[in-house]
Amino acid sequence: MPLVRRFAEFIHDLQQLERTAARGDAILDAFTRHTPFEGGAVYLRDRDAILRLAAKSLQFVAPEILDCDPPSELTAGADRVLVPLRSGREHLGVLALTGGEYSDEDLEVLRAGAAFVATVIVNQRLSQEAREGDFQLKYRLWELESLYDIGLSITGMLNIDELADEVLFRMISLINARRAALFLRDGGGFKPYRAFGELAVSEADLQRLLETEKPISLDGGTVVAVPINGNNQIIGVLVAADRETREGVGAFEANELRLLSLFANQVGIALENARLHRDALEKQAMEHELELAATIQRDILPKAIPHIERVDIAALSRPARQVGGDYHAFFERENGVAMLVADVSGKSMPAALLVSALHAAVQLLVREGRELGEVATELNRHIHRWSAENKFITFIIASIDCESETLEFVNAGHNPGYVLIGGRLETLKSHGLPIGMLAQSKYMTQTRSFPSGSTVVLYSDGITEAENEAEEEFGDRRLEEILTQSCSAAELRDRIAAAVDAFVGAAPQKDDETLVIARTR
Amino acid sequence: MTEELKVAVERKPQGAVLYTKGYINNVGGEEIANRAYELMDDGVRILLLNLRETKIVNSIGISILIEIIEKMMDTGGKIAFCCLTPVIHKTFQIMGLANYASIYENEETAIKELGL
Repeated sequence: MPLVRRFAEFIHDLQQLERTAARGDAILDAFTRHTPFEGGAVYLRDRDAILRLAAKSLQFVAPEILDCDPPSELTAGADRVLVPLRSGREHLGVLALTGGEYSDEDLEVLRAGAAFVATVIVNQRLSQEAREGDFQLKYRLWELESLYDIGLSITGMLNIDELADEVLFRMISLINARRAALFLRDGGGFKPYRAFGELAVSEADLQRLLETEKPISLDGGTVVAVPINGNNQIIGVLVAADRETREGVGAFEANELRLLSLFANQVGIALENARLHRDALEKQAMEHELELAATIQRDILPKAIPHIERVDIAALSRPARQVGGDYHAFFERENGVAMLVADVSGKSMPAALLVSALHAAVQLLVREGRELGEVATELNRHIHRWSAENKFITFIIASIDCESETLEFVNAGHNPGYVLIGGRLETLKSHGLPIGMLAQSKYMTQTRSFPSGSTVVLYSDGITEAENEAEEEFGDRRLEEILTQSCSAAELRDRIAAAVDAFVGAAPQKDDETLVIARTR
Repeated sequence: MTEELKVAVERKPQGAVLYTKGYINNVGGEEIANRAYELMDDGVRILLLNLRETKIVNSIGISILIEIIEKMMDTGGKIAFCCLTPVIHKTFQIMGLANYASIYENEETAIKELGL
């Protein structure tokens, strides 16, 4: 075959190497097919310029080639020919060929083929480097985009569980971690909140992070932990383990630790947002509950004062913002009127529900016409059975009989009521435990004379314990001074209210204020 | 949550759909590559990767996916993706995968468009 044609076919084969990676076996195969040599070996330098065996035929053994520098020129020996693979000054490797008669012409073909292969290898390496550079550039862009995206995405997430998942997913892909965990502050330490893969960090290591407020590196750098700052303190810790490479896993590098710290800043803002949102929701729920409780209480309190012949009645009910448990009611009776003031323990919805239970029971019992002691005793049994253990009610009920000019009353642990008879002020003291405290409590009706022109005043402790800004209480004495003034029930109520307001000033109302006044004509 | 990737394959008349579940990292990426190369050796030239149950992919996983795409392109075939999370979709766009592989919102559209 003419040399030119032989060389053209050889180059055509070598060109195939351009399409795929220039692997040692493909190079050796092309050279043994187009030259008289039967076998040999290909040695290529790796990225660290170390000569390594890339391919060889079965019978070829020449380990000494690896120990020497590749020749700079083709060397034709007795048993082998060594052809350098060079591009400019760069030694890329060496081709060793053996077995076969060869001519000078064959050696020229070898030289030209080796030069072509060297160019292919250089081109492929440059192309690979360009691709890797492009990948790295895109990867850095992606890192930046990710940080930006994370900021936008997670700071808008208000559900802490969803946020925790997103945080883990983002950090894992951002720093090529295989495992990750999010710890949240729990008192003086941290508790694991979410993890991707199994990842444990000792209490001592987390404590060290809390004290130094700096990222820590564990297990030879294969585990890193960075603090999450929020609200001027460390509110959590991000932990990542096993930085992935193509070959397996290893230690994290400074760049990844820096990225993770930047990421932790974003997470801190997001966690704070989620916490504030949760607080706002709780506050909203509480306000809704208060509103509901206030509605319940408002609906069961008397809408109007009953008109009773020979009795002048006035009432005042001022609920505090945080709903307390004051209750009052009037009941028309055959020869007069009964009225009660009660104060249930607790606040908000539980108190409102207890007031509601009290309202239902007392309405039934009084309207059945039972005498007051029996009403209180039955009420006690009912409330004790159906309400929570620590719930009780202070309760005072008084009934005026205009015919017999008497006043019956029961005071179960409530503030003493007042009666003003002929300008003399007396008290209706408690003579039993609050309602609901002890199942076996029994209450006896107390009776006293109540001549025409007398006044009875029932009130809750919200009146006498109203506080001014100096935290002083309005007290019994100020109330008693007003009670001795001679005026109508409504006027008396207004004077007490005005006196309490004047005393309290700008201080907030802490408890419900209830006042019931009845004066016989 | 676990880091392990699971791959399922469904052969179609004109190719195959490969379903991934879990983290596409070096281990997961290699698992996908092995299954994809088996399919290519078996003559599959249209391969759809449904990433519906994958929420995370890292840069090693992406580089392996790029290799699979290049290998398929060398054979004259085609690789496409569907059901990507918004985060993975954006990642593919930035990392250049979207230049060489089609991305579809759902599997039904992908199968129709690819003629699977």
